[in-house]
Amino acid sequence: MGAYIVRRMIAAVLLLLIVTAATFVVFFLVPRLAGATPEDLASRYVGRTASPQVIHQIAVKLGFTDPVWVQYGRFVKGLVLGAAYSTGPTTVHCPAPCFGYSFLTQNPVLPDLLDRLPVTMSLAAGGALIWLLAGVSTGVISALRRGSIFDRAAMGVALAGVSLPIFFTGLLALSIFSYWLGITAPGGSYVPLEENPLRWAYDLLLPWITLAFLYAAGYARLTRAGMLDTMGEDFIRTARAKGLPERTVVLKHGLRSALTPILTIFGLDLGLLLGGAILTESTYSLPGIGKYSVDAVVNNDLPKVLGVVLVGSIFIIVANLVVDLLYAVVDPRVRY
Amino acid sequence: MPGMSEQGRAATAIQGRSLRQIAWRRLKRDRVALAGGGVVITLILVAIFAPVIVAILGHPPLEFHYDKVDPELQVPRGHFGGISPDFLFGAEPVNGRDVFSRVVYGSRISLLIAFAATMLSVLLGTVLGVISGYFGGWVDTLISRTMDVFLAFPLLLFAIALAGVVPDRAFGLTGDTLRITLMVFIIGFFSWPYIGRIVRGQALSLREREFIDAARSLGARSPRILCTEMLPNLAAPILVYSTLLIPTNILFEAALSFLGVGVRAPTPTWGGMLSEATHWFQIAPNFMLFPGLAIFVTVLAFNLFGDGLRDALDPRSR
Amino acid sequence: MGTKRPAAALAALAALLLAACGGPSTGGPDRGTSGGIHNPSDAKGGTLRYADSGDWDSLDPADTYYAYTWNFARLYGRALVMFKPAPGAQGATLVPDLAESLGRSSDGAKTWTYTLRPGVRFEDGSPVTSKDVKYAVERSLDKTTFPNGPTYFNDLLDLQGYTSPYADPDPDKLGLKAIETPDDRTIVFHLRKAFSGFDYLAQIPATMPVPRAKDTGSKYKEHVVSTGPYKFQTNELGKRFTMVRNPEWDPATDPNRRPLPDRITVDLNVNADDVDNRLISGDLDVAIEGAGVGPSAQGRILAYQGLRANTDSASVARLWYTALNPDVAPLDNIHCRKAVLYAADRTGYQRAYGGGTGGEIATNLLPPVIPGAKRFDLYPSPKHTGDIAKARDELAQCGAPNGFTTGISYRAERPKEKAAAEALQQSLARAGIKLEIKPYPLGDYTRLYAGKPDYAKANDLGLIVYGWGADWPDGYGFLAQIVDSRVIRATGGNTNLGIRDPAIDQMLDQALLTTDTAAREQIWQGIDRKVMEDAFVLPGVWARGLLYRPPNLTNVFISDGFQMYDYLPLGTTRR
Repeated sequence: MGAYIVRRMIAAVLLLLIVTAATFVVFFLVPRLAGATPEDLASRYVGRTASPQVIHQIAVKLGFTDPVWVQYGRFVKGLVLGAAYSTGPTTVHCPAPCFGYSFLTQNPVLPDLLDRLPVTMSLAAGGALIWLLAGVSTGVISALRRGSIFDRAAMGVALAGVSLPIFFTGLLALSIFSYWLGITAPGGSYVPLEENPLRWAYDLLLPWITLAFLYAAGYARLTRAGMLDTMGEDFIRTARAKGLPERTVVLKHGLRSALTPILTIFGLDLGLLLGGAILTESTYSLPGIGKYSVDAVVNNDLPKVLGVVLVGSIFIIVANLVVDLLYAVVDPRVRY
Repeated sequence: MPGMSEQGRAATAIQGRSLRQIAWRRLKRDRVALAGGGVVITLILVAIFAPVIVAILGHPPLEFHYDKVDPELQVPRGHFGGISPDFLFGAEPVNGRDVFSRVVYGSRISLLIAFAATMLSVLLGTVLGVISGYFGGWVDTLISRTMDVFLAFPLLLFAIALAGVVPDRAFGLTGDTLRITLMVFIIGFFSWPYIGRIVRGQALSLREREFIDAARSLGARSPRILCTEMLPNLAAPILVYSTLLIPTNILFEAALSFLGVGVRAPTPTWGGMLSEATHWFQIAPNFMLFPGLAIFVTVLAFNLFGDGLRDALDPRSR
Repeated sequence: MGTKRPAAALAALAALLLAACGGPSTGGPDRGTSGGIHNPSDAKGGTLRYADSGDWDSLDPADTYYAYTWNFARLYGRALVMFKPAPGAQGATLVPDLAESLGRSSDGAKTWTYTLRPGVRFEDGSPVTSKDVKYAVERSLDKTTFPNGPTYFNDLLDLQGYTSPYADPDPDKLGLKAIETPDDRTIVFHLRKAFSGFDYLAQIPATMPVPRAKDTGSKYKEHVVSTGPYKFQTNELGKRFTMVRNPEWDPATDPNRRPLPDRITVDLNVNADDVDNRLISGDLDVAIEGAGVGPSAQGRILAYQGLRANTDSASVARLWYTALNPDVAPLDNIHCRKAVLYAADRTGYQRAYGGGTGGEIATNLLPPVIPGAKRFDLYPSPKHTGDIAKARDELAQCGAPNGFTTGISYRAERPKEKAAAEALQQSLARAGIKLEIKPYPLGDYTRLYAGKPDYAKANDLGLIVYGWGADWPDGYGFLAQIVDSRVIRATGGNTNLGIRDPAIDQMLDQALLTTDTAAREQIWQGIDRKVMEDAFVLPGVWARGLLYRPPNLTNVFISDGFQMYDYLPLGTTRR
């Protein structure tokens, strides 16, 4: 097991290197291939009256005049060893891992990211809890009461949930519940958990519900299908024959088997979501990583993008790893 | 298909039915799936015949109608965004464009991009998945790791970045054609691992089966085995997952248009219309409602049909 | 929503010298200021809540270049002089702030001297000396550390090779000889050439004093040391900052300010629609960019009398227009350009910018707010909807009787420009002129795309949707950067998108030499007319911003200096 984890860690590091290198390629090589000079690239990050000399100096300062692999190397070195930046009169040491300074605002990227992470985490965690509970329980009940009105209705609603784009449901929900009825918070509200837990929950209520609606639908369908498969297996019949109460049969034996694929998907979904719930955050104007990343990409602000890509990929990789490890716990046949 | 059932009838009850026949019969009995399928076909027809429909029922999608809009408030005149026999879905704020014709034309973009991107994904995914699953070894490891890399990417971000970085004139294409090709490429290219993984899994289990061994022992070489033995057996899951990938891609394209990186204005796209509608939903709700409903109905129909197809083709479902 | 209005270039100030020389500019009923003060009050207390739909370029006074940031900076910094916080034409006049009086010039306006008021202190209690002002200006010269600010001091001071205090061999870092500080209360500026409008430079936030001991260069913006009535309490970069009263600010040294609120909060990067929604619902007091509400909020506000009464229409010295690029055939032929001017539907252009509330249909360049501006129309058409017959006539004369095809560019992030491009596409099609719509990113628009002559030509950008505003209402400041052919650079970054007429250049030079106000204004009109005769520009609308003020806001009036609400006197009744 230990060796397996080590192998996965190494693979994870490699993966991160590849992903960040690809980001560099997209942001640097592609414009260069399209004919942009370092000064062209630098000119986005200066004021309007900058003279050509200043633009050139900025290009040097931001490293655009160096070849792409040198810039990449510098980035990796900053991650591992930290970097030093001149602020003018002083030199600031950016401790490892150093994600660099935004080209546009000259603000350090990592503190910004860490600042926004709680928002995305709040959104993802709350939503995940709701959709897991709602989705799985709906799926279980649907499976048990197969063909009933509840089943049909639930699966119908689930189907609707999977078919609606989240920005549409989000907007609809905002306009109805926040602006017309006034019972939920308007767009852009967010209060950190430590500051005011009740307010925090209130502000996130609508985003949680819309997010959960989307995912719960998928999970309900998945759970239902998985339960239907499992409940037909022999060991369930054995459990019933042994005289176990139905609830134990369903939950402890049935659900547990059906859980594996659900776990996989849950891990992946959560990982993806933590990497930036771009659409939800944009719809509700939540100051999380997703919104940050869209701004970064649109402004071609590479350090920010690299930061987001790294954070997002780390979450996805970690989620994958955790899910695989959990397999070993849930399914005794799996051995590493 | 007609040929098959004739065969079946001629041979009466003794001859077993092929998978296709069984699936087709089951599908025919699934009302809901058929309804979904019907809607899909209707939508495809609407997309194909968009110019005719719009000529009869609406105004050209790019045409402005200032008389329909209040000059001070910029809002369409009339109730609920100006819905009238003339403007079936009302008019857009500021310029008074016909929302109905824009939604109808938007279906072309959505369906075209979704279908083309799905085909690209399926092509890439099937080829790579089959090779990976059948050959195993280092080929498998290489392709699987590549799939992992793709799945580790924050997709939407990269799509936005790529779409923003490509200039106006590239690869000999310009304008709408370029943007559509770009969308197809981006969506299709980033979606292939989903098909790839499934195909790989199926190929892995298939290659252990006896008929593969039998073919090999008869002297068939790998390419032949892949084509004549593996692919036909993979057809069913590929078909199902393709049908389920289409709605995902429709949503993906809508998201990209919503974020402003898809096909450019003034060509109507559902996501693009929703994006503009976010500023107006409090006073011109029609602008948001109809493109959103269009996406919903389309995606729902594909999902229903895809579900029905999966149930029909799955030997284990009851 | 959210068009930040940039400050003008050096030439703008050259013109202001003329405005200053020629006497006070005429304020007319045309200016669209709200006349008096809404809700006057002396009541102190409460928290004033601002929101920005984008991010500050920098809170560091040396590194910022927007009208609204300069307006706001007066709350935490005191420059040598400043625009008077008074309604109407008074708001465009300068009054001394840190200095005792406006500058005293000598040596033929090449030397300027200011005397600082006694008793002004930083927020930590240390006294402000002239050396702190000199240091502040010195650091603003360093454009690699502070790339966003204006370059007036770089251009006008007699630098003699000085680059930055961070590379200064002098142990006190005060090595710039062009600025002398004979004693703690006197500061003397030595210029390269005569410039009688130096007071306008003295109001730039770069002259707000900075204590060298607390200067952390590019990190200084995280906590700017205040000399104004408020100081920074918290500062979360990119998210929000809050300010509280500065106990070291002495009202006895400051006749201009009467700070009423106890606390100020500014939220950054708030979705533009949310800003409008919160303004209307009472969750916000001021939309800080001062550009006016967005189109959907405008619709809602104008529809309800209760809301409508809380609005002010600020006439801004800004023209939204489309440049006709003579580098792109067949627009090199004047008749083809005239065809465009005849065929365009001006009402469509106006609608794109929000109808009558968004602006007035423009038929020439100079916005009516600018003294000396006169309206005229060289291309009349019935109700401004365009004259297709005349357009066809011009097309025949330029050898393209069936029309032609060309591209029209706009800034992708500006929905109004998109609407204008689409409107032009529609109206010009009536004469057979087909437009291909091409959006480009806002940040690079002038540098890499529309404003780079080679790119524009290679990519067929015949029509370029743009806008231009002067910081200070003045004819030269408005015109120079967009009509002078000598400012066109092949390297890009041009705001003159294709006007090349030596006669116009000569007229501009002539205006710089003319000291008589009336004669100068005649020259502005002449330039305006020549540009229109040359058919280089399709004017769109003269901008108006619909500003909304919530009922709890006190002392609200539009500042003519910044053409938005003056942030200095604002108060709130909300407790």
